Formats: sequence, C-alpha cells, structure tokens
Amino acid sequence: MSKLTEKAFQQKNKRSITEINEKIKKRDVQVLTVEEMKKLVESSGIEVAFKEVDVVTTGTFGAMCSSGAIINLGHADPPIKIQKAWINDVEVCHPGAAVDLYIGATNMSELRPFEYGGGHIIEELIQGKEVELRATAYGTDCYPRTRLETTITKNDLNQFHLLNFRNCYQRYVCATNSRSETIYTYMGKLLPRFGNATFSGSGALNPLMNDPDYETIGVGTRIFLGGSQGYVIGEGTQHNPENRFGTLMVQGDCKKMSPDFIRGAAYTKYGTTLYLGIGIPIPILNAGVAKKVAIRDEEIFTDIVDYGIPRRDRPKIERVNYKELKSGRITIHDKTVRVSPLSSLKKARVIAEKLKTLIEDTAFYLTAPVERLPTDTTFKPMKQTKEITFVNSLVHTAATCTENEEISAVAQRIIERSVNHIVVVDDQGKLMGIVTSWDITRAVANGKPKLKDIIIRKVVTTTPDKPIDEVARKMAQHHISALPVIDHDRKVLGIITSEDVSKLFGR
Amino acid sequence: MVRILLKFSEKIVDQPITSQVILEQKTPVNILSARIDQQGGEILAEIALAQAEKVIDAFRKKGVDVVVRKMVEVDKERCFDCGACIALCPVVAITFKDDLSIFFNEAKCIGNTCGLCVDACPARAIKLIG
Ligand code: SF4
Ligand code: SF4
Repeated sequence: MSKLTEKAFQQKNKRSITEINEKIKKRDVQVLTVEEMKKLVESSGIEVAFKEVDVVTTGTFGAMCSSGAIINLGHADPPIKIQKAWINDVEVCHPGAAVDLYIGATNMSELRPFEYGGGHIIEELIQGKEVELRATAYGTDCYPRTRLETTITKNDLNQFHLLNFRNCYQRYVCATNSRSETIYTYMGKLLPRFGNATFSGSGALNPLMNDPDYETIGVGTRIFLGGSQGYVIGEGTQHNPENRFGTLMVQGDCKKMSPDFIRGAAYTKYGTTLYLGIGIPIPILNAGVAKKVAIRDEEIFTDIVDYGIPRRDRPKIERVNYKELKSGRITIHDKTVRVSPLSSLKKARVIAEKLKTLIEDTAFYLTAPVERLPTDTTFKPMKQTKEITFVNSLVHTAATCTENEEISAVAQRIIERSVNHIVVVDDQGKLMGIVTSWDITRAVANGKPKLKDIIIRKVVTTTPDKPIDEVARKMAQHHISALPVIDHDRKVLGIITSEDVSKLFGR
Repeated sequence: MVRILLKFSEKIVDQPITSQVILEQKTPVNILSARIDQQGGEILAEIALAQAEKVIDAFRKKGVDVVVRKMVEVDKERCFDCGACIALCPVVAITFKDDLSIFFNEAKCIGNTCGLCVDACPARAIKLIG
C-alpha cells in the first residue's frame, strides 16, 4: 500500500488489524467480552466504546451436526485401500485415497444407535482414549489387503483435523409442537400441545450476529475452536445471509483441542451429534463495527416454528426475541410456555472470556480475512424430479358401519368388500371408532358378540393434505395398517391402508 | 418435611395401604405423585419429620419398600449446562444459577414418577435412582 492510500485507509478504518496485533504484542491491547462491550456502549456510548476497545470476543457452544473429523491412519503393511471402515462400531466414511477417513458426528453406532456416534468418537480420541478400528477393502494389485483390525489413539494418527461444513448459525428458530403426542426432534424433546419450546443459539453472544454484514469475519479468520485455534475456511453450507442465517465452514487441529469445548451428544430418537465451542474475535475497526457489536438480545428476532408439522416449510406461529427466549417463558397462542435453550449459554460466556485471556496473554493474534463471506447467496430448496404423493390421491372409500349394528352384519361386510378395517361412524358420517377383522374374530372366539364392546375408540387418523411418507411413519410407529382419512369436522372421507402405501413405494 | 418414595410390589398394589397407614398413625401423608403399571406402583409422598420414623415403619410392616434419599443424580462432568432439561420439569426443580450453570433442586424432584428430563439430556448426564 502506498503512503497515501494507507493514510486514507487509516482514516476510513481508524484501526487496523496490524495495529491491533502490535498492541497485543506489547500487551497493551484492550479486549472486552461481547457482554462487557454491550454494557460499556450502554453506559458510555458508541464513540467511547470504539475509542477504548480494540477487540471484542464472542462465543457459542451448541449442537453442530454438520461436523466431523478427517483422520489419516498412515499405511498398513501389506497396504490396504480402505473401502468401508468402522470405529467402535460406528461406520465412518472413506472419502479419499487409501487411508483417509471422515468421522461424521451424526454417524451412529450399529450396536448402540441413537446413543453413541461419531461425535463421541471424536471426543474420546481428543481425551486420549483408544478406539477400535475395523476396515474392509476389495484389494488391488498395489493394495492387496482386504481386512484390517487395529486400535488407535490420536497419537497414532498423522492428521486429526476437525473439518466442519456448517457451524455457528447466526441465529436459529424456536421450536414447539402442536401434535397431541411428544415428539423427538433435532430441536430436542417437544411435549404435546405446545407443552414446551426449545431454542438454539446464543443470541447477542453469537459471533456472526455481532458481525452481521461479515465485515471482519471471513475466509482465513483465526478462531477459538474446541479449546484450540482453528480457521474459518469459507461460508458454511446453507449460508443464508439474506435472512440473517449465516453459517461458517471451519477447520482446526483436534489433537490440540479440549473435551471441555467439544463433546459427543445424543438426541433421543433423532441421533448423535457434536457439541462444539466456537469463539470469534471481532476487531473494532471503526465506529460502525462497534455499533454492530452493541446489538442486544431484544433486537434479535426469530420465529416460533411448529415442528409438529413435518414439512419443509413448517408453520411459523409467532415472532419472538432472544431476550424473551432467555427469560425461560414465551407466549404461544396467548398461553405461557416454558422454553429451554439447547446451546449452553454458560459455555458461550466461558469461551468469550477464555478468548479474551488468550489475546491478552499474547497467545492469540488476529488475522485479516483473505476473502469476505458472500452476502448475496440464497438457500434454495431441493430440486425434486418426482411429485410427492399426498393422501388425497390414494384415499379410497371406507367400508363403514354404525355402533348399533350386529357383529354378524359387520362380518358379512368385511367378506363382501374384502377389507380388514371397518370404520365406525355416527349418522352424520363422523368418526366414532374402528374395528378390524381380527377384533371381530377375537370377539366371536371369546363369546363377546356385541360390536359396541370391541370398537377401538382412540383412532389414529390422517387428513387428505398429508404426504404419504408421514402416513407411513405414523402406521409404523403405532403398529397399525390403516388410517381413516377425516376432515376438520372428523367426518370420514375414506381410508388409506399400508397396502396402498407399499404399492406406491414398491413401484 | 421428609420425602419418601413408597414402592408397592404387584402383590400388594391393589390394597389401600396408604389410607390404612394414615388412619392408624393419625398423621397426614401428602401424596406428591404416583405411578402404577403391571410391575407394581410407586408413590412419592411427604411426611412431617417428627412422624417420619413411625410412618416409615408402618409402611415397611405392610410390605412396602420405602426409599428415603434423593431420586435424581446429575453427572457434573458430563453436563455442559445447556439447559435442555429445564422447561420439561413439571415441578420446576431445574433452574439456571446466576452464572448460568444448571441447578437441580433434588428436594423438589419427583423422580421415577416423572423422569421427563432424562431422555432430553443430550449429554446423558441425568440418572434417576429409585
Ligand atoms: S425427573 Fe421430573 S421432576 Fe425430577 S428433575 Fe427431571 S423433570 Fe424434574
Ligand atoms: S440437559 Fe443435560 S447437559 Fe443440558 S443442562 Fe440438563 S443435565 Fe446438563
């Protein structure tokens, strides 16, 4: 840079990363955690905060599913070109040449699925524990070996790097559940009928939320990652700057990380993941940056979303801000609902403090990004070449009966229509229950020949607008083979059976 | 007050033992929660400290297994203070401390008769003992 442009640059930016690093070296740098900075702005204003503070540290600690570690095993003798591999019975991918493996955080154990997975292996390796490796291969002229069994610790590995393609969401939604049953989601356990809510992200502590236009965080930014140092290597997948759902792709050396900041975790009936701590320093280059890091929880809004509806565009119920979320209580349909965080706010705070200390102790220098994160990418939905099928295209007329009919008449109908299910309706055609051929057989065998006594009153139902995949899952979960299709008034429109579904999937 | 967990085996689960003890001992037994299934039943109750020994004895004589100890244990090493458990607790036994770490009020927890928080913990740090 020429003298003149450098001067212009200085005037524009007021403070450069080079200057900040000089100050770190001289132990003369002013670092505040993002919480301290917000307080300072509140009490003394942006101008003062900008003049006094060089760096602000942010932090987040939460479930980051698109995480994993790449490991290099070194060559066996005789050598093997691994085709399939397992570590502690968790299948790991083999994305590269002969002996590189990727341990995906969400890969689950074949023996203990949903409880133990890739995230736990990464944590155990970081702890220094020994894990068991098993691999198979097809064998080639240069790599003749077809089987391998050994144990490894992190010291046996050449490289052991975290390589995460989507981390550190700027903000996330708040989840709740309208269904009449508890559901287990990637947003945690959601009780029936809006019984609770969960949210993710650290709000005003979050790194990207404090640099919402990606002015200081970019490709090459050095970050605190899992207790050690790592780097931003690009925008994360599904990066969605337009809607303030930015994400990061990051990389770092696991061998130097600490299990205090990187943990395997399990979401019941959903799967395994990795909880990861990320801290990012924000250099206060100008008053504009200072102003942006002053953002408060009450200024960060997100949607309360109904995870009871398993569609891509889940219904949004209300808007809510992070201050309300962190208070533990929100309002859904005029009812107070308790809300839990899924990310650890305590750890987020610890990370911001830790990063501050590292900078003050000259153990962490700032980097200028070599390229900025895109601000114009959009997050497109999937291109699907096949139309999805809904219940309305498979539903057919149900064989029905009323409560007061004789069992023999109903049995007759089962034979005539050659069906297994009879839907019980009232005189307006509204659903009263269901009986199966099996129920009738059993009733006759037990000498209980009154239809009334054998009707199943708690019926699992569906509606015409539901995708078939949702119906199939419902049948499997409840171990049943047909669902009456009803409208909003519980009027029976027809029935859909597991046979209809398997014909469709079998095609 | 003392918290006691009364465990009824399937053999005695259909007998009105709790009412009998209340009448015989002439002391209130405050039932906090209850659960019953094919294997038997459990009642979590509160009794006055002064009567505790007598009442516990009376229950034991009638074949009830009485447990007097905390019912939930949190592995502080595994817990990373996320808070996922908080909003699930029906008796608000789980709260954040000022430093945002998690606090389980063991005296409030109704243990096995609830258990809602256990499978919501991503760190698998919560154990019910009972
Ligand atoms: S078991 Fe139930 S009462 Fe006890 S802490 Fe967990 S949620 Fe609360
Ligand atoms: S859910 Fe588990 S890890 Fe999270 S705060 Fe509760 S006990 Fe701790």
